[in-house]
Order: sequence, then C-alpha cells, then structure tokens
Amino acid sequence: MGCLKRYTKPVDGTIPIPALLYDDEDLLTSQEGLGIYDGTQKSLRHQSGTVHATTHRLFYIDNSHPGSRSFALDLSHISRTEHYAGLFTSSPKVTLHLHSIASAGPSSGTDAVGNLSPSEDAFGTWECEVCSHKNPPGLSPAASSVCSLCGVPRSSVKPPIAAPIPSKAKASITSSHHLSTSLPSSSANLLALGSSVPPSAGEVRGENGEVSCPACTFLNHPSIPACEICGTSLPRLRNSINGHLPAKSAPSSRPTSPFDNDDDDDDSDLGDEGIRMIRLSFRKGGDKAFYAVMRRGLLSKGWESKGRRDGTTASTPRPNPGGISQSGINGLLQTVNTTATAAKTNMNDALQDLEALMVKAKDMVHLAEELNERLTAINAASSSATSTAAASASSGPNPVEPEEATFIRSSLSQLGLQMANAPVTLDMIRDERKWVEELARELAGVLQSGNGGTGKRQGVWDAKLQKDGGMMGRRGIVGLDEIWGGWNRARGVALIPPSTFLQVLPVLPAYTSPPIHMRTFVNSGISVLHTPPYTKAAFASRMVSLITLSGPRTTVEVAHEERLPIGLVQDMVDEVEEAGEICRDGGSGGGGGGIGVDGTEVWWCVNAFREYVWDGQVY
Amino acid sequence: MSYSTHTTPSGFLLPSIHAAQAFYTKQRNQQTQAIFTENWSRLILAYARHKRLFTLRLEDAETSGNPWDEIFRNTRINRRLFPNHLSHILQDMVSKNLAVYDPPKQTSSVLLFWRTPEEWADVLYEWADSTGLMNSILTFYDITEPVVPSQLSDIPVAILRRAINVLVKVNRAQLIAVADGEGVRFLAQTGR
Repeated sequence: MGCLKRYTKPVDGTIPIPALLYDDEDLLTSQEGLGIYDGTQKSLRHQSGTVHATTHRLFYIDNSHPGSRSFALDLSHISRTEHYAGLFTSSPKVTLHLHSIASAGPSSGTDAVGNLSPSEDAFGTWECEVCSHKNPPGLSPAASSVCSLCGVPRSSVKPPIAAPIPSKAKASITSSHHLSTSLPSSSANLLALGSSVPPSAGEVRGENGEVSCPACTFLNHPSIPACEICGTSLPRLRNSINGHLPAKSAPSSRPTSPFDNDDDDDDSDLGDEGIRMIRLSFRKGGDKAFYAVMRRGLLSKGWESKGRRDGTTASTPRPNPGGISQSGINGLLQTVNTTATAAKTNMNDALQDLEALMVKAKDMVHLAEELNERLTAINAASSSATSTAAASASSGPNPVEPEEATFIRSSLSQLGLQMANAPVTLDMIRDERKWVEELARELAGVLQSGNGGTGKRQGVWDAKLQKDGGMMGRRGIVGLDEIWGGWNRARGVALIPPSTFLQVLPVLPAYTSPPIHMRTFVNSGISVLHTPPYTKAAFASRMVSLITLSGPRTTVEVAHEERLPIGLVQDMVDEVEEAGEICRDGGSGGGGGGIGVDGTEVWWCVNAFREYVWDGQVY
Repeated sequence: MSYSTHTTPSGFLLPSIHAAQAFYTKQRNQQTQAIFTENWSRLILAYARHKRLFTLRLEDAETSGNPWDEIFRNTRINRRLFPNHLSHILQDMVSKNLAVYDPPKQTSSVLLFWRTPEEWADVLYEWADSTGLMNSILTFYDITEPVVPSQLSDIPVAILRRAINVLVKVNRAQLIAVADGEGVRFLAQTGR
C-alpha cells in the first residue's frame, strides 16, 4: 500500500487533463479502463479509471470518484518498466519499478516528495532576485526552480528568509522527518544534493555538530531549522558526507524477477518500503501502444531536460556549457523574438482591421448620405414647424436643435464624408477601365485646376492647391512620389495605392491640357510627371541654346535658371549628355582627375565636335 | 562657339579642337569620347613625328617640363590633360596598333608608331639602298647611330626590329648573329 501513498500526488480529476499539465509538459497518450496494483496487490480504490501519460507524469483519473481518488505519478520515480502480455483471464499489465525516493531526488529536488503542495510551488508567480524577472506560473517544478530569463536558481542568491523560498528547505525538512526512520542516510544525501543553500555556505559545523549560520556564523544547535540570532534558515546537517547515494544501488542489486511477482515473498523480505512498484492492469487492452509511448516518454526524460541543469547549477557554481536553456543570452534572445512576433501579429491584425474598414467605406459613405438627407429633411420640417408654431404657439420642442444638426454636418464634412464631393472609389464604378478614367479625371483636377474630386472641402491643403492652380499649376515637372502623396492628401479617404496610381498615369494625357506625361530617368530611376516643355528634346534644345548664348554652365546654374531642384536637373542634363548634345568640362582642376565625378563642378559646353574635321598639322 | 588653330613656338600647328575646354575632360558619352580620343591620338602622333619622339609615358602628362608640354597643356585656356584621360587614350591607341606598350605587360609607357612598322621597313630599305649598304652586314648600332644623320637616327631598337622582321618576311633582309649582338644584311631584290 505504501507505494501509492509515497510516490503519488493526489490530483483533482474533475479538472480536464490539459489544465493539469505544466507549461512545459505534453500529453503523450491516454488509455481508459485501467486498474492499479499497489505493489502486488490490487489497490481497491483505483480499479476503474483512465491513465494519461505525459512527458513528465502519469495521471490516473478515477472513473467513479475523479475528485478524490485520482493521482499523479512523476515519471522521474520510475527506474524500470516491464510489460506482461496477459494470459487467459489475466489482463495485460505494465509494471513500473520505482526508485527509492532518495535516489530519485537530485534531478528534481522539490517534487521528490509527494506532500509538497504544488499550488505553493509550481503554480505561483515569483520574482527572480537577480534580474527581477517575473517568472510565470505553470512550469514544471524542475523548470520553475530556475529563473526563465537569467537562469539563476530560484533561491541560490541568498539564504531564504521569507515565505516563498524555503519551499525546498521545507520539503527537505518534511522529507527528512518522513523518511528518517527507514532511510536516514539517503534522505540526508537528498538534503545535501537538493539543498538550496550553496555548499560552501553551509558546511561549517562545530565540534558537537552545531550548524554555522551562513549569514552571521553563529553556531546553532543542529536541530534548529533557523538561526537563533538572525532567523536565517540554516543549511541542514549532513550525517554522512562520504555516502554517495547508497540507496541508488538498492534497486539494481535487489533481486526482482518479473515472473515472481505473484508471490508475496518480496513483501516479507523487504517490508513495506521494499516493494517499490506499481502495476497498471489494462482491462480494456491498448496496453502495447500505451506501453510503447510511455517508454518513449521515459527514455526521452522530458522532466530532466531542465531539471538536470537545475541540479548542476544548484549543486555546483559551474555553469553547464552544453545545456540548451531558456536562460542566459539564449533566453534574452528568445524573449526579444517573442516580443517581435507579438508585435508582428498585432500589426497584421491592425492591417486586417484597416482592410475591413476599407471594405466598409462604401457603407460609411451611404450612412453619411442618409444622415445628411435626414438632417435636411428634419431641418425643413422644423423650419416649417417653427413657422406654424408662430401661428399656433403650442407646438412641441423641435426634434433636433439646429446647433446639433450643424455640429453633425460639420463633423461629417471634416471626416470627408460629404456626399457632394465623395472621392471615387472602386465599388462606385464597376467597370475597371471606366474607374481608371474617372481617377485620371480626378487626378487631372488635382494637378491642373486645384479642385479634384474632393477639392471643395475646406482645408489648408486644398486652399493651397486652389491658390496654385493645382499641383502642377506653377511647375512643369514634379516627382511621382509627390504627386501620389498630394493626390491622396486631396482625397482624404479611400486612398489610392501606388499600383492603381501607375495604372492611371497612361490615360492621364487624355484628360489634361496641356497633356501631362510620365518620364523615367535612366540613371536614377526617378519617375516624374511633366508638361510638354520638359520633354527630353525640348529641354535639350533649351539647354543648348542657353549655353550657346551665355557660355558654359554648371548644373546648379541650369537648375537656377529652370527653377527646378538640382537633383532633377542633374537627371535631365545627364540625358542631354547621353544624347550627345553637350559635353562636359571638368575645369582646370580636371574635375577630379578629368572625369568630372560628382562633387566637383562640371561645366557644360555645346558638343561642337561631332562634325569636327582635323585642322592641325598634317604630314 | 568657334575655336581657332594655333602655332606653337616650335612651329607645330595645333588643331582648333585643342582650344576647346571640354577636349581635356574625359566624357561620359561614349560617342563624344570616341571623337575626342581619335583627335587626341592623331594630335599625339603628329606631334611625336614633329618632334621625333618615340616614347610617351603617363608621367609626361603629370609633370611639366618635358617635350610634351606643348600639346598636353593649354595655358591659354588653363586646361591640361590628366594622366587617367591619357591612359584611356593610350589604351585606345594600342588597340588600334598606333602604339605598343613598351616594355610589355605594363600600361604606363608606350612606343609610338607615327610610322607603322611597314612604313619603317620601307624607309629602312630605302636608306640602305641609297647609302650603298646593300648586302653588307650592319649591326643595329650602325643603323640607329649612323655617321650621317638619317631618318633612322635614334630609332628605338624595338621599332627597328619590327621593321627588319617585315623585311625578313619578304626576303629583303636577313638577320645574322654577330659578335656583339645581332646584325642584319639587306638583300637586293632580284625583281627590282
């Protein structure tokens, strides 16, 4: 009977299994219709239930009394397993041989002892004392004993003083009490290995076994758990320093044969503590699959991947170099990654919302229209009502105050939802070609007259547009990006994506007067819209006549002459040079060694040498 | 804008393009640069012939005080030819067989062919014929440093060798090893 009690923890089986798992624990398989043998005898309270195998534990959920009879068994306790296929009326069985409690300890110090309350330890948030990282609850005991961010063990920084940290110490105490009668040496060993206090701090002892306080060095009586002077909890006494896991050899040396299990002679030899096994009886089959999965779980030692590291860091100050960890720089990087992923997800959500809003744009426009009409109707009604009210003097209050109506209307107009000048949107016009043409017309308005589709709104931008006579009212050549931005600014809502913008441009000349064309410079890749005076040929002839009349000019001077940005003029001049109309003069400095690279002044001269005939010395 | 020709103190007639500022700057436009390169190489060869210069180095454009100043520097318009532009011109001349890099496997010095090796061969043969040295063995030194100055005086051995090779191919000369190097014997053409 002792095995079940000592090795298992009661769980509330009414809670669904996924909720019982630690964050780093995975459910591997489940099998229903199982009975449990404690040792060799049937455990009467556990005869019909479901067993779930996870990476860390085995859960038994009782069918009839899930709340009271369910339990969990840590896989770390299991030393060996055996499979018995069943014979005639005997069901297939899986036998789990268990470590003695002490030897199971080091890797997972806290959960070696069954009576440690999990709610206190594993399911609480705690703050790392080194980096102040708030560790989330829900990790397995092994994982939660180390800060997930910096990897410092939970209580190794200073000796525990307050409530949350002594959980291990408390566990140690309780376990020592619990086991001291039967396994004194091994339990002491557990304490030494699982102790949260660094070994160096707690090993000073007086002649009579007094324990030196790690904080104030006062020699305390060995049986006192906390320092008499300062209250610091004391490292536990070791009785046998040399004893290296004496109990570990016990299971292997103990003669156990799988087929002798029906006999009770083991029981008499070794006593109640001796039988360290639990059997699962598969009443409804499924044993083979379950056994295979469980064995895999046991071999992969999922509970140890973190626990082992904890063990080493807790017992020796040397870090584990090979450990794949959630902590240290890896942990920091992982945290950064997680944050970035979260930000990306948020951004995607936001963009989806925005798209949804765009889909609804038409509805919004309709709503605004409706509201507007209704307001107009009400206004009309109320004005007629007031006129009749003058006669009757007893009409009720006006349904809508004129002020409110004005406010709503001005709000609508500020939102750009006034129907008189709603921008053209795709769903207003079904035919795509017609849509593009409509857009071209609108763009032409923005460019040349300053009142495009939405130009009647009152805004600084629109006012400026109208004053200038459109974006290209005063300038003959404007960058594509500026036009796109300006147009969308004038639209206000239902913005035009660049792809659509580029679709509109080929039809633009038909709607503009003088026609506006697009031109892309080869060197820089910049695209511009321009009026006829800024075609390649027109600009070239203008520039040639300029330098013919007034001598060589630099790019800056030409830009000044043209009242255009230097970068733009540079592109245009480059094309004129490409055409061979002009040639460069690097000046007396040679223009950076004769090349005339950017940064040195280049003077542009007429290329008068295309028809040059040699007129020098002839032999 | 019109540019005018100019005669240097040494009596060389500079072309009008030499007075154009842009002529000294390397052009990005390939067609324009091709015109400039062509005129530069013609100018260089004409001037080399005028001054009997056989080699041209990049440093000649870099520093002043050498025989090339008259064409590489135009103080009247404050312009000069820069070495990297000259390097481009030399590359073009070599590719057109108007010059060879000498010594080979470098690009900073060239031997100018203001006469092609074939033209030099004719000159050489004429000279041997007119001076009555036909069928007699001459060392290279006899040719490059003749007692009576000739067109071949100071001709670099590299050019001379090419000219002789042209003659050897048509059996009008014969290379002969002599005690202090190489010698050549010009053979009278039976057909002449």
